[in-house]
Amino acid sequence: MQQSKALAFALVAPALLFLGATLGWPLVQAIQLSLQDVRVIGSPGSFVGLDNYARILSGPAFWNATGLSIVWVVANAIVQTILALVAAIILNEKFPGVRIARSWIILTWIVPTVVVVVIWRWLFSTSGGMINPLLIQMGILERPVGFFATPWTAMATLVFINSWRWFPFIALMMLAGLTRIPDDLYEAARLDGANAWMRFCRITWPLLAPTLGVLAVIGTLLSFNVFDIIWLLTSGGPAGGSRTLPVLIYETAFKGYRLSEAATISVMTTIFLMAFAVIATRALDRTDR
Amino acid sequence: MRTILKIALGAATMLTPAAALAQETVRLTLWHMEQPPHRVERIQELIDAFNAANPDIVVSQEPQNWGEVYAKAPAALAAGQGPDLLFAIPDFTPILKDIGALTSVADFVEELDGKHDFIDTAVEAYSYDGGVWAVPLYNMAMNLWYRKSVLEEAGVEVPQTWEEWRAAAEALSRDGVSGMGLPANKQLYTDQTVYSVMVNGGATEIYNEDGTLRFDNPETVAAYEFYTNLHQFSPADSASWTWGEAEACFSAQSCAMVMQFSVISTYDTQAEGDAEDLGVAAIPSKDGEDHNTISYANAVMLLSSDEARMEASKKFVSFLLEPENYGRFLNMEPGLFMPVTADGAQAESFWSDPMVEKYREQIETVIENSQNGRLFGFTSGLTFPSIAAISAQNIIAETLQSIVVNGQPAAEAVAAGQARMEEVAR
Repeated sequence: MQQSKALAFALVAPALLFLGATLGWPLVQAIQLSLQDVRVIGSPGSFVGLDNYARILSGPAFWNATGLSIVWVVANAIVQTILALVAAIILNEKFPGVRIARSWIILTWIVPTVVVVVIWRWLFSTSGGMINPLLIQMGILERPVGFFATPWTAMATLVFINSWRWFPFIALMMLAGLTRIPDDLYEAARLDGANAWMRFCRITWPLLAPTLGVLAVIGTLLSFNVFDIIWLLTSGGPAGGSRTLPVLIYETAFKGYRLSEAATISVMTTIFLMAFAVIATRALDRTDR
Repeated sequence: MRTILKIALGAATMLTPAAALAQETVRLTLWHMEQPPHRVERIQELIDAFNAANPDIVVSQEPQNWGEVYAKAPAALAAGQGPDLLFAIPDFTPILKDIGALTSVADFVEELDGKHDFIDTAVEAYSYDGGVWAVPLYNMAMNLWYRKSVLEEAGVEVPQTWEEWRAAAEALSRDGVSGMGLPANKQLYTDQTVYSVMVNGGATEIYNEDGTLRFDNPETVAAYEFYTNLHQFSPADSASWTWGEAEACFSAQSCAMVMQFSVISTYDTQAEGDAEDLGVAAIPSKDGEDHNTISYANAVMLLSSDEARMEASKKFVSFLLEPENYGRFLNMEPGLFMPVTADGAQAESFWSDPMVEKYREQIETVIENSQNGRLFGFTSGLTFPSIAAISAQNIIAETLQSIVVNGQPAAEAVAAGQARMEEVAR
């Protein structure tokens, strides 16, 4: 028994060491930095205790960014889940070309972020972009609008673009869950007279729930940490309307030259996300049991 | 004989490392933020020419971007992996000076000034705390660009005053065309356009002489009110514009007028390219007198602590400023980069470029406008390091967004802007 424990530890040790070196050590350094008053990278700092934490927690910037991060995560979760579920159900059907469709759907996910940004920035532009003329022709708009011109339209547009990018990945994960549901169940339900909606509510949804639970945890963590699309499209604007926590951390460190304050926000964000991951994982475990 | 041979061999053995050392190649790394491929290509041509003429020095370039370099350069220097030469704008130098990465190049600049005669304002922006912290390389000045035919057709004169400017923008806004393309993004371009309006309304100074801030004053409020008023004639998405979108709007004829350093390149390659029809003027001023603008003298910082590398770096900068090379350097983007030296302004290598020849009239106007250039935080002959953080956080643009996007009254937004400046300056 002891031998097998030692073997298990030996097998896990390299992974633990790797994680310790790549995650643990930077985190320790971030905590150390958060207790100092370093401004620019490379400049010296002195110990200030918890001053940075007190300042960040008493100012509005952190709370505004936290609120926007929550809006961002929830909005992405809703939009991506709906899009992915519809796509997964369609791709789970048998129709000519379904294999090609399953391959092609991941295209948006594999396109580099910078390309995604360039494409959508151009499409939404009022000078030569396609979206405004299209919406005007369809009678939805009377005149061109700036999709990134107000805080709420900017946030909504960012959520749409990010969801467009990520829903195929989630759809494929859902599809994997759907393929595990035995056809016999649907067959039996049909014989019992259940219509499509009833089959979805009574069979698909409950049996897909464990997969959705795992996706919710992974999706929340992934969405929360999205920085590239937001920074490249709006830089957190307009008027701070899309300044989520990752954007605030970057701005504080590299635009405001307050490295220690940025480290403080990073540490608090990490603690928050770790707490979320632990609670969510335990909840999922309990559901499984 | 044998003894002589031994001595000779010994001496030769001892001299070999010294000889090898003398022949050792000095390798320099240049970081610049001129990323478009044609600019990188032109810089490489000049580097190749320099390397060929100086076999003991090898310069190589590593293009960076403005968005990252403020964070990347201090980190690279702290790790001992920084460049030997790094392009800069004035507010960048206090950051590197503060972390002890810069040494004054006052003597070198004086030597170059004696030879080429720098424009005084170009050197002033880098002169503070008893030193000169970078060598000016090229100038950029904001201008008002328009199509002569479009103004003629609308019966509009080139605006001289703010009142005329607003009237022109209104008259030119028709048939899906925006009269005036103005950014309202929280970004450097908006800092530049807003400040260009501020300097034409008597709000040039951001600091008092004692280093306290004087951003919150009636002139600044009036400038913001005017800018906001003018912004209503701008495209709906201009709250997310950077330089490229403004140029695209002008090229596509969706904007009748834009404020920009230069539109020559895009106008020539992506629009009509009719030099006769392209108009450029000084930014209108409140009362029509004393037209000012924002003007940036870009420079190069010399970062080597090693003497040989520093000397090699100086040699390279001297090479760039030689009139036969300088014009080619400036014309990596014809019409955008203006000379900062008197002999550069006369250089055949500058004026003989086909694009410069074609748009000579416009370029002469831009050079003339740049003579009245100002730059926020560098106007009083004193430089305060906090301008780096104020500029990096785009607080001038942020203040505008509070008005344009959030609908805050200009006076309140400017007061809040000053509070933000004080906060980041602490």
